[in-house]
Amino acid sequence: MAKKYDAIVIGAGNGGLTSATRLALNGKKTLLLEKHNLPGGFATSFVRGRFEFEASLHELCGIGPLINDNGSLAKIFKELGIYDRVEWISLPDAFRTMTLGDGDENFDYDMPIGKENFIARCEEYVPGSRAVCEEIFDLIEQINDGVNFLSSITDFKPGMIKDIFEKYTNFINLAGYSVNQVFDAMNVPKPIRDMFSGYWCYLGVNLDEMNAIHYFTMFHSYICEGATIPKKRSHGISCALLDRFTELGGEAWMNTKVEKILVKDKKAYGVKLESGEEILADYIVCNASPYNAFNKLIDRKEVPEYQLKNYNAKKLAAKGFAVFVGLNKSPEELGMNNHTYFIYDTADTKLQSDMCHSRETNGVQATVNLNAGDPDCSPEGTTVLYMTSLFLGDDAWNDVTPANYMKLKREFADKMIENFERGTGIQIRDSIEEIEIAAPVTYAHYTEAPNGTIYGYDASGTNSIVHRLMTSAMGEKIKNLYFAGGYTEQCIGFSPSYTTGNAAAQQILNDAAKEEANA
Amino acid sequence: MKLHKTIIVKSKSADFLNTVSMIPKRISEIRATSADPITAPDRFQVNAVAKALHPQKLSLRVRRIEEHSADVKSYYLTWENNVPTPYFRAGQYLTVQLKVGPSLLTRPYSLASSPSSALHGEYHIMVKRVPDGFASGYILDNWKVGERVTAFAPEGNFVYEPLRDAKTVVGLAGGSGITPFLSFARAIADGTEDFSLILLYGARTKDEIVFKAELDRIAKTCDKVKVVYVLSDAKNVGAGYEKGFIGADLIKKYAPENEPYSVFVCGPGAMYRFLGQELPKLGIADKYIRMEMSAGARKLADEPGYPTELLDKTFRLTVIDRGETTQIECKAEDSILCALEKAGIAVPARCRSGECGFCRSKLVCGEIFIPQGVDKRRMADVEFGYIHPCCTYPLSDITLKIN
Repeated sequence: MAKKYDAIVIGAGNGGLTSATRLALNGKKTLLLEKHNLPGGFATSFVRGRFEFEASLHELCGIGPLINDNGSLAKIFKELGIYDRVEWISLPDAFRTMTLGDGDENFDYDMPIGKENFIARCEEYVPGSRAVCEEIFDLIEQINDGVNFLSSITDFKPGMIKDIFEKYTNFINLAGYSVNQVFDAMNVPKPIRDMFSGYWCYLGVNLDEMNAIHYFTMFHSYICEGATIPKKRSHGISCALLDRFTELGGEAWMNTKVEKILVKDKKAYGVKLESGEEILADYIVCNASPYNAFNKLIDRKEVPEYQLKNYNAKKLAAKGFAVFVGLNKSPEELGMNNHTYFIYDTADTKLQSDMCHSRETNGVQATVNLNAGDPDCSPEGTTVLYMTSLFLGDDAWNDVTPANYMKLKREFADKMIENFERGTGIQIRDSIEEIEIAAPVTYAHYTEAPNGTIYGYDASGTNSIVHRLMTSAMGEKIKNLYFAGGYTEQCIGFSPSYTTGNAAAQQILNDAAKEEANA
Repeated sequence: MKLHKTIIVKSKSADFLNTVSMIPKRISEIRATSADPITAPDRFQVNAVAKALHPQKLSLRVRRIEEHSADVKSYYLTWENNVPTPYFRAGQYLTVQLKVGPSLLTRPYSLASSPSSALHGEYHIMVKRVPDGFASGYILDNWKVGERVTAFAPEGNFVYEPLRDAKTVVGLAGGSGITPFLSFARAIADGTEDFSLILLYGARTKDEIVFKAELDRIAKTCDKVKVVYVLSDAKNVGAGYEKGFIGADLIKKYAPENEPYSVFVCGPGAMYRFLGQELPKLGIADKYIRMEMSAGARKLADEPGYPTELLDKTFRLTVIDRGETTQIECKAEDSILCALEKAGIAVPARCRSGECGFCRSKLVCGEIFIPQGVDKRRMADVEFGYIHPCCTYPLSDITLKIN
């Protein structure tokens, strides 16, 4: 007879791990299935020589060192009982942002963490800018309050907009506008705008098309609440979640690939493994992308038309590229003082995102010096550097073949190293002791991400987080199937992917309670 | 309550209407979109290349065998239907799976071919009989032309990386450790790789040198490859040979004088121990020294810190695999992976040297020993009790969750 569980979670990425742990915590007999030999999905690390590299996390928001670790994610981790199993390190600075264009308009700003510090630094760079900066922060805080209020509502109905409007006028009125539309309305001068725009590459949407609510909420979490990194890389969080899940009685099977989600009459009831074994469950959480779920895992005739349309209407978001470097000199010897470096070709984010369509024109990088936050993250006298770039559109790597793959990615890595040296004036090339390069092919290999995307679905225009959340209840769905992870309503990012997992589990618990009440 | 200035983008009412129109706008966009399936995710070239480079398993066939001596043979493996085999980087290894009696083994063999050979569907590996070796003896005595071989796509970090390594590599090969260097030499000769290789190839006698004709031919026709044979047991040696062991003096003699060079090493354990004393004398930065990990069996008695009184003991190994429990035996001198393989339990192992992490498993309870220098685990894995069974030995009864 087939094994039967209360819930099966497919994929032990951030969303899957959080879902599984929440379900087990609430007494659900849960089976977590992961095709790899280790948990985490993107949230992992790897060892080369004497270095352990973080695979994906730049800085985590949601823990909130500036608000006594009471951020939204910290609350979830505390409830799940894993907050204390991870050593958190708060980051000392926000970012250094610069452009490498040919013109005179290039900038190089070194921005601190904390609202007051940030405003004071803006005033230093641009005397007289304090008033407009305070106005921006006032707006950011109001939006953040609105988001917190909205996310506390479990069952959103369009009719509630009026009530919310009374309290959060700006939040409501600006919900459909882009960051730059709001900056224009506020007459924010260019240099100040550039300082506030640094984080745009974290969401991969240019600020002409980036939803203002989304961006300002993220900005609030980094600057006003502070950012952290886990001491033992994001793999430390993944291990802590899995550890807690099994301690709560959950069963986790590694190296176990799910071939099918079993659905009948638009109702999910189990999974079929690659081995052919079928396992049944009342509820299924899918941490794989809807893209793969609707195309590979579920019989076509069982997918509701609205769902196919919904996901076909979304574009794939940014594709990832990363260079991981272990240097045989200390940050002091190299003169490397910052944790995060944003290096752009131009301050015009729309123009920049167009340039991100090809390897030739793309020069974007977000680079992390891991030692700035954690001086002991690598052996004495060494530094760990991790440089990320983004490709937009679907065509930047269409010319890749097995034979030219290494050459193409090395060429781009070489350009990133050159740009880093040119922008920061810090020479690293001769100190490279270990180097690994990850291209979209790498992400496609490890996560089956379509086209190697690392950001799920594009969050621009009418597919913004606000649009998604407002329409999430619409349309026919597959019953008892829930999605978690970076492809869902909350868009991409470490913190959101944990949050979506928690939300999916919470939804299952609510639905299960309703079923019981009806029975 | 704090009073906020109202930000106006268009006008107060237009801004509100803009928000209200978000839902119908999005819904009508969704409804206007095609419901046709998005088609296979592999329609993207990026996903197709990922799949071509990393298939789950390879089902190969032995197409040709070259006998260098009774105990050393080359095997040329091709994929069914002669389609290209997964591309690789010169210096990487192929892991083959063997069913020997009740045991299910995996063994990594460095590829000797140039990556370009994969484009026409061929891999070349060399197998040398290891005294008391389980796998090498089986292959040498059993693999015939036409034999089916299950393998895993090439892996490994013993590769040349121009962003890290010097333009000149002094390669130190010992015995069967020649294979990755043959791959390098072939790849340089056919233009796949671009660096200068000065190969110091150590063997006891002339008879033990494998691939001499091809190495000499490459050295003659390609000015980026130079080969010096270093014989330890020969009394007299001719031109192109050196006598003795490969050490610092010999390396200095052939290495470039006024520019940086990398040293790449692949050979038997004794060679690594000797070079451990010699390489520091070169005075080059650690980044310029790359050692291929040794996948061979270890003599625990020689490992510092090992409690030798346990050596003839046998422990109980309880294995948890997807909720099912089995009990097997594990000799103290065997790695935990070795015990699993002997019991015929399929374990996803590749490198057998602690590095790749494929065999990573959860140590539920029990005491273990990990020899010095092979513990390549992630920090969190150490904290949460994960081990790499390929380089971990039992000190007590063990419970291990492999899947």
